[in-house]
Amino acid sequence: MESSEFIVQARDLGKRVPVAGGHLDILQGVSLGIKPGESLAVVGESGSGKSTLLGLLAGLDLPSSGTVELAGEDLGHLDEDGRARLRGRYVGFVFQSFQLMPTFTALENVMLPLELLDRPAPRSRAQALLARVGLAGRTRHYPRQLSGGEQQRVAIARAFATEPAILFADEPTGNLDTTTGEQVIDLLFELNRERGTTLVLVTHDSRLASRCSRQIRLHAGRLLEQP
Amino acid sequence: MNLPRHALVLLLREWRAGELRILLAALVVAVSASTAIDFFTSRISQGMQQQSAGFLGADLILVSPNPVEPGWLEKARTLGLRQARTLEFASMVVAGESFQLAAVKAVQPAYPLRGRLRVTDRPFGRERQTADLPEPGEAWLDARLFSRLKLQPGDSLEIGDKTFVARRVLAFDPGFRMDLLGLTPRLLIRLEDMAATGVVRPGSRLSHHYLFAGKPDRVATLRGWLQPRLLNTQQLIDVHQGRRTVGAALERAEHFLGLAVTVALVLSGVAIAMAAHRYSRRHYDSSALMRCMGMTGGKLLGLHLLQLLLLGLAGSLLGVLLGWAAHWGLLWLLADLLPPGPLPHPLSPLFTGLLTGLAVLAGFALPPLLGLRRVPPLRVLRRDLQPLPTSAWLVYALALAAVLLFMWRSSGDLQTVLVLLAGSAAMLVPLGLLSLGALAAARSLGSLLGSGWRLGIDSLWRRRGATLAQLVAFGLVFMAMATLLLVRTDLLESWRDRLPADAPNHFLINILPDKVGPLRAFFREHGIESSRLYPMVRGRLAEVNGRPALQAVPQQARNHNALHRELNLSWSDALPPANRITAGRWFTDADRGRPLVSVEASMAKALGLEPGDRLGFVIGGTPIEATILSLRQVQWDSFRPNFYLLFPPGVLEDFPATWMTSFHLPPEQQETVSALVRSFPATTLLELDPILRQVQRIMGQLVLAVEYVLLFVLAAGVVVLFAAISTTLDERLHEGALLRALGARSRQLRHAILAEFLGLGFMAGLLAALASEIVIAFLYVQTLALEPARHPLLWLLLPPAGAFLTGVSGYLGTRQVLFQSPLRVLRRT
Repeated sequence: MESSEFIVQARDLGKRVPVAGGHLDILQGVSLGIKPGESLAVVGESGSGKSTLLGLLAGLDLPSSGTVELAGEDLGHLDEDGRARLRGRYVGFVFQSFQLMPTFTALENVMLPLELLDRPAPRSRAQALLARVGLAGRTRHYPRQLSGGEQQRVAIARAFATEPAILFADEPTGNLDTTTGEQVIDLLFELNRERGTTLVLVTHDSRLASRCSRQIRLHAGRLLEQP
Repeated sequence: MNLPRHALVLLLREWRAGELRILLAALVVAVSASTAIDFFTSRISQGMQQQSAGFLGADLILVSPNPVEPGWLEKARTLGLRQARTLEFASMVVAGESFQLAAVKAVQPAYPLRGRLRVTDRPFGRERQTADLPEPGEAWLDARLFSRLKLQPGDSLEIGDKTFVARRVLAFDPGFRMDLLGLTPRLLIRLEDMAATGVVRPGSRLSHHYLFAGKPDRVATLRGWLQPRLLNTQQLIDVHQGRRTVGAALERAEHFLGLAVTVALVLSGVAIAMAAHRYSRRHYDSSALMRCMGMTGGKLLGLHLLQLLLLGLAGSLLGVLLGWAAHWGLLWLLADLLPPGPLPHPLSPLFTGLLTGLAVLAGFALPPLLGLRRVPPLRVLRRDLQPLPTSAWLVYALALAAVLLFMWRSSGDLQTVLVLLAGSAAMLVPLGLLSLGALAAARSLGSLLGSGWRLGIDSLWRRRGATLAQLVAFGLVFMAMATLLLVRTDLLESWRDRLPADAPNHFLINILPDKVGPLRAFFREHGIESSRLYPMVRGRLAEVNGRPALQAVPQQARNHNALHRELNLSWSDALPPANRITAGRWFTDADRGRPLVSVEASMAKALGLEPGDRLGFVIGGTPIEATILSLRQVQWDSFRPNFYLLFPPGVLEDFPATWMTSFHLPPEQQETVSALVRSFPATTLLELDPILRQVQRIMGQLVLAVEYVLLFVLAAGVVVLFAAISTTLDERLHEGALLRALGARSRQLRHAILAEFLGLGFMAGLLAALASEIVIAFLYVQTLALEPARHPLLWLLLPPAGAFLTGVSGYLGTRQVLFQSPLRVLRRT
């Protein structure tokens, strides 16, 4: 594996947490590389370590052993603020629980990352993105006034607002019914194609996983198959 | 990124969403309360300082009951100081059928040395300054005298034997004194007219004022030269004591206002801390999200600090404006106690108001917000991750520093501040433990009640941490309110003079010896029943058991009034009514002419005197000595002539004396009083009714002012209640939704909520009763100089009142638990 061809590369990742009377290995010996533009599904049962892996790859947490490189930077060599800057520049997120700011309107939620990075014309860009996800008419609504599917579409618009090189999605349909989930996933893949974003998707939904260009499966913290 | 702009944008979004209301409300209450009082007191004190030289009418005044040695005035002349002499005394002024006691000031042409008189040509006309003085034969009167004597400018009036022309209305006299005498209407005449009035006789109560003005160092030299030569009965008043001339009532009111503001500030601080805590908890997620989006911890903190600063500025500005508006109300309520003339408009309260707001916010809101910097970004995936708590020491130190800072600012009285603070702190630990015990007891009791009630009490127990915090917060609120309310009531009682219905309402003093017989005849003729006529000889207490009195009395008694002024000495063969012998025995016929004296018990106690001690008096330059034969307890509010020192007959008769008596006369017999004043022009009649009415009116104003400020405290208390309720609102909403999803009926939930808040309020009331008693006991003895009292009603009333208040506001504050769709609540979390 040549590091330059991967936007994310993990080597021999392990995550160990203390528990009563000892410790628990949530992840052990996970190595993988993700190429730009690729879409990767991480599947596995509940508790298999999927979300932990996602957190480590995105630099939200540090591994107990092993290294993660994101856009050529070793995350272990950066402090939390350094990792935050890296995330701001390269990474977008979509969460199972949407994580919208409850006191912001849909428009303001999408504007937020643009404002944080001082990107020009945040309002018009956010408006365009909301129109793209089919919510042109709901820009002034607060999250609590939107349905689950609508909230997730706002979250997707927000994730793509800064045009990240890589998008991490944690069970993006976990809180949605099947039909709504399908619509949201369609949207996610469409935008992914349009913008050439790398997509890392954690799910236990095999139908969703099958739409990705590659799948890996976690079982009890270990990587089972890596086609 | 542009941090300030973002902070503003985020803040506006938060505001629109209703997240900041409690924080802002608490801030506005704190700042407006402190600013109102600050404006009020600093305007008055600056006004006093600016005008105090003008107030005195001089740079230095020597006040003496007798003319001073010519050498003293010669000394002032050699120092190049300008001087003037005035004579002040109270006298009846008669015009036609009307008469009125007035404070007369007779002045020399040089008066005043500083400041200017202001006059009008007719009552309530346009004021102007003047350098003139009344011409001989003229009198200038204040507007009240014109109206009470039914005079017009140009009419004539009598003082003693002389007739004067009432020429102008005296609007402002720089020699104005802020004391009870200042309540008496004033009258200005020329010193050269004094002799013709015949009012001044040996034994008359006079005050000679020697006014000096000139270069400050020369004035200081004179002051230093005079100081060691002063008699006990003489005193020097200078510009720096201008403040001391404020009425004691106003000072006490300011003290109380400062106390009330302190309480309002602390309560607001508590509300702010609670609201900020909730704010930061609700911003864990968004902070984690912003960190995901690439925001560094420092920037995140900067963003929140800027928001805090903006909020602080906005809230403080609003508070300052409200406070400025509110201080007019105070000025209006206390108008009669204020110095005359226009008050300055200091700007400093504006800035201190702003600073107070920022300090309160920094002290109470900063600690919880600091935690936001350390929210782990992984929280977006794992909700259970909490930020590392900010150091507890830092939290308490910041809050304590803020409290001390603005307490000291607002009251300027560290002792009261510390007592209050110690009271609150002392309340925390034992009360915390007590509450835990009470909570456990309530829990076992709750198992006997219905399921709803049990649920409520259980949830109090489960949320022990939050419950304790709320208990302390509510306890603090109730304690503060109860304390202020009790202090107010007890102050009032101690202020209010109660006059028995047929108690004497007229005092007649300065009765000359040759008028005693005619006066008795007058009383007989008009059917007036008077108390006895008592002679009064003025003398100074100079020695105790052969040693100078100041050295002989205990250290703490050296400032006692009796040692520093002339005392009224009287004699009587019978023990006066309303007097009771507590030690020794009353005089018998055999004691006539023997050098014995009976001393009032409280004075004897203060000076450490006992029967058998020898007291040395100086009367008009002649020393006499008398041995204490008895101590008497005197009922002072009997409104009869009462004396600290009574001699047997045959001891003081050779000294010049005036006589006094008191009598009751119903208002409809005013003509009789009129006739009395005309027949005995040199005597002084004190009518108690109007004086009492005036005192009561002023007390009424003080009470209104105090209640006005209590409104701020009440507002702060309400904000605390709501802040405390909202700290657990999210949790309650979630639990309520879960319970309803599991099939709980509204009635059960309602009972649960009521049980929680009623229980909480009841316990808080108990704690508050305990804490109030402690704080009040300290305050009364240390600060307010009141007799300590126990308040059993407190224990009976506070717990149910607390339960009611908390129950109502708790129910109102959390009612949405009953009505919100469980699905929506559950989906939101």
